[in-house]
Amino acid sequence: MDGVRVGNRIIGADSPVTVGWENIPKVEGGPFKRAFFTWFQPTMLLALVAFWYYAPNDIAKASTAIWIGIGVKLFMMALEVMSPRHTSWNITWKELVTDLFYVGISYTLVRLAGKYFGDDAMIELIRNAFDWSTFAWFVALPLLLQAFLISFIFDFGQYWMHRGMHNWHPLWLTHAPHHYITQLNVHKGAVGNPVELFLIGLGIGGFFDFLPRAALLAGSLGLAVGIYQHINVRFNSPSWWRFLFNTTEHHSVHHSQDYEGSRSNYSGTWIIIDRMFGTCVDGEAELLGMEGGRRMSVGETMVYPFTEGWRSFKERFGRREPVAVPAE
Amino acid sequence: MTPRFIDWIWHIRGNVALAPGQSSEEAFERLSPLFQEINTSHERTDDTLTFRKKKQAPQDKMSIFDWGILAIEPGVDGSTLRYHLTSRALLACFLAPFLFLAIGAATVGIGTLEKPPTAEAKKEAEAAEKKLAAVPMNPIDKFLGAPEPEKPDEKKKKEEAEKAKAANGKDKKKEEEEKKGPSPTPAYVFAGIFATLYVGGRILEDWLIKRLFRKRLAGA
Repeated sequence: MDGVRVGNRIIGADSPVTVGWENIPKVEGGPFKRAFFTWFQPTMLLALVAFWYYAPNDIAKASTAIWIGIGVKLFMMALEVMSPRHTSWNITWKELVTDLFYVGISYTLVRLAGKYFGDDAMIELIRNAFDWSTFAWFVALPLLLQAFLISFIFDFGQYWMHRGMHNWHPLWLTHAPHHYITQLNVHKGAVGNPVELFLIGLGIGGFFDFLPRAALLAGSLGLAVGIYQHINVRFNSPSWWRFLFNTTEHHSVHHSQDYEGSRSNYSGTWIIIDRMFGTCVDGEAELLGMEGGRRMSVGETMVYPFTEGWRSFKERFGRREPVAVPAE
Repeated sequence: MTPRFIDWIWHIRGNVALAPGQSSEEAFERLSPLFQEINTSHERTDDTLTFRKKKQAPQDKMSIFDWGILAIEPGVDGSTLRYHLTSRALLACFLAPFLFLAIGAATVGIGTLEKPPTAEAKKEAEAAEKKLAAVPMNPIDKFLGAPEPEKPDEKKKKEEAEKAKAANGKDKKKEEEEKKGPSPTPAYVFAGIFATLYVGGRILEDWLIKRLFRKRLAGA
């Protein structure tokens, strides 16, 4: 495979990656279908932002956000069945059960760990030592600017954590199981080792709890954009959307079997961060995963960072057997 | 050997009638693509096929099965394909609700060890909230008609009213649960989701495999 030069890198030399928006197929069908899949994403973003901007205080609560999140995910699952991007990514009962298992672990055990050892605990410490009056300038900003800053700063942190995971072996060990997914579906974002889910969840998001409306608006940006990272639905996203935001196409390149492709598109919401640091590749891939598309079992996913970590440790620091040299 | 009265949890058995005159050779020939999938091994005798699957690819039509035996049996009305398949995925899904119930119980246990915030910490938090609430809303938001943030005093009054209501009525239990720390509800919800998924999957996969064998045998 020749691959395509993007900046200083050759993308698609190991496994097929389609590079360039002009080469990516569009939604086919009648005018209603094409209009729906063109305008759905911006409309949902606008609707969510308007809802959280104007919702009365009694409704603008985290519990409402949870219900909206569940509703949106169910709707996306229905879209996957009705209009799949690739039939090879179609959801099966086993895939759904496996994906939901990781979702369940992340909602229970990982959250519990976060509360006592993770960002919740750290934020509590920072907040107790913080002089709140110095933060008044932020509260005085327009709500939408507050929300943008929360979302962008959080994503900026996630970008570097994610890039770190692809560049530093101990962090990679926690992230590698997530790269064994061979297809994208709504809940695939949760598939991975719980240690990774814990690390990627570390951030400043909870720090803004005292600004409930701005935090909820920032969360709606994450929901209305981030949800398309792992989804088996084709959209004709407008070009400005693809320039600003992460899309299924971007994330499929990140999960492709192509090594250089997998080292691109690290951000969660704002692909513009990748553009800033030269790691963005506009394109898409269908063949995903590692080791030629080997599916990693739940059991292996749970122990991989530890077993592989131990193996790497032994390789580096273990006693080396003398190599037999044939006699002349 | 697992007793039959519980092995239905992860074993699927069934049969499909062969078309009149269809030989075992022809039937297995038609089913053979199912066993050419990656990480699948199989052995065949004249009228029996045994297969094993490991690390199945998601799009393998039989990905939920790990082992199985298919036999062609002659009968008065013609031959029948009888199959007996096992699935660790079904077993895992059956056990998942118990895991989440245990996580729920552990969450409750951890919550009982948590200490409620001290009066001093509460006071500090309230003072901080008051400082920020004093910051006026941005004129752009005022112009666009965004609701004013709730004043800490109003919020406190509301919370106290809710507490009073809770102390008198059925919400008392809810209030006690809130005091005890992290909620076990998500764990219980996931236990329910997996129980439902198991029932759905056990029926669906039974039906899907029968349909798959029937289609293949018919040459579709």
